[in-house]
Amino acid sequence: MDLGTLGAGLGAGITVLGAGLGIGRLAAAALEALARQPEIAGDARTTMIIAAALIEGVALFSCVICMLLVVMK
Amino acid sequence: MAGNNIYLNQSTEHGNYPSHTTNEAQANHPVENPAQGHGQLAPGDVFPTLLSNLGNHRQISFFNADISELPVIIYDSKVGFHAYSSSSSMVNQKLFTMHQDAHGHFHPPIRRAVDNQPVSLDLSVTSLIVFEWIAIIVVVFLFGWVGRKYKKNPTKAPSGFQNALESLVVYLRDEVVYPNVGSVKSAKTLLPYFIGLFCFILLCNIFGLIPGGHTATGAIAVTGALAITAYFVINITAIKEAGIGHWLKHLLGGAPIWLCWIMIPIEIISMFVKPFALTIRLFANMTAGHVVLLSLIGLIFFFRLSNGLGVGLAITPISVGFSIFMYILELLVAFLQAYIFTILTAVFVGLAIGEHAHEEEHAH
Repeated sequence: MDLGTLGAGLGAGITVLGAGLGIGRLAAAALEALARQPEIAGDARTTMIIAAALIEGVALFSCVICMLLVVMK
Repeated sequence: MAGNNIYLNQSTEHGNYPSHTTNEAQANHPVENPAQGHGQLAPGDVFPTLLSNLGNHRQISFFNADISELPVIIYDSKVGFHAYSSSSSMVNQKLFTMHQDAHGHFHPPIRRAVDNQPVSLDLSVTSLIVFEWIAIIVVVFLFGWVGRKYKKNPTKAPSGFQNALESLVVYLRDEVVYPNVGSVKSAKTLLPYFIGLFCFILLCNIFGLIPGGHTATGAIAVTGALAITAYFVINITAIKEAGIGHWLKHLLGGAPIWLCWIMIPIEIISMFVKPFALTIRLFANMTAGHVVLLSLIGLIFFFRLSNGLGVGLAITPISVGFSIFMYILELLVAFLQAYIFTILTAVFVGLAIGEHAHEEEHAH
């Protein structure tokens, strides 16, 4: 185990923190919107999935970087 | 799962490892692969060996049985263009060499026999390409078949499988393409592309979940090609819809002209980041699930090799339980990622068109 592997592991962990916070806040906001206005359920769900995919995309970028740290050392 | 042929034998690359287990214990282990008896593996090599199954292969295998080797097509600047029916026939002709492991499987790179250098271009048919072709054939066959049914008697109510496909197409049209693309004319032109995109990605994802299958969308080349197609679809639609002048103007992002030195680079980067994000998202989602699944299965072998038979047996139900959970999660992800790729492409097309329409409003 070298420092690169340690960095990759830490990086993946911190990424998960950020992505989890982001998607959690997103889901909370969507749920509030749904509770207030149940008739927009379809629209809210689609928008939520798109936003979640964008957040996830950023998180996956950093996961790929972590993977490269391990694979290409 | 890509590459279900989970061999736990040492391959020739890994060299010799000291034996941690006795042969009697191996023979009694219930969850082990039959191939295990051939060699020994150090606990630390369980995961690398398992994960090496995720990549591209030169043969089609079903569990441990090799069904067939795949054709090799090579272009080389020195030796020229060559095609062989299989890797072993290529090696037998002695013009090129390829590494062969203890199971008789071939591993790239292909090298020229004369100077042992890698060839310029390896266009071989690999297992991922085979599964892509299967997905294409299934999509074309299904839609051709259902389309013929509609042509034959257009007034008859759809039945059976036709119904299922119709509801899928109607969902994609009414919920994904039309509301997000915005312009009805472009949406109508692009509808077949989006339906094809969704069905192809979905089938590729699902083929990775059936035993013996490979996930073509788990290779960055495949998702990259899909994203490059999406890039051209987005920009060509935008140019067709609003004209080249407006498309160039959109590079300014609506800012005053003296900001062009900062706006134009940013807009050009954002144009390329969108397909890049699509590539990474699909690739990483499909790969990550397989890695987790293989790691969970690998835990059984890891504990069995490092701590003995009892621990291995004890960990099995936990590992299998989590694996089943991950498998079902992956089934959800397979559908979700196909949907997300399609809807994001539609949203990007809509954004590219919408920005132009917006600028047009400003111009008037």
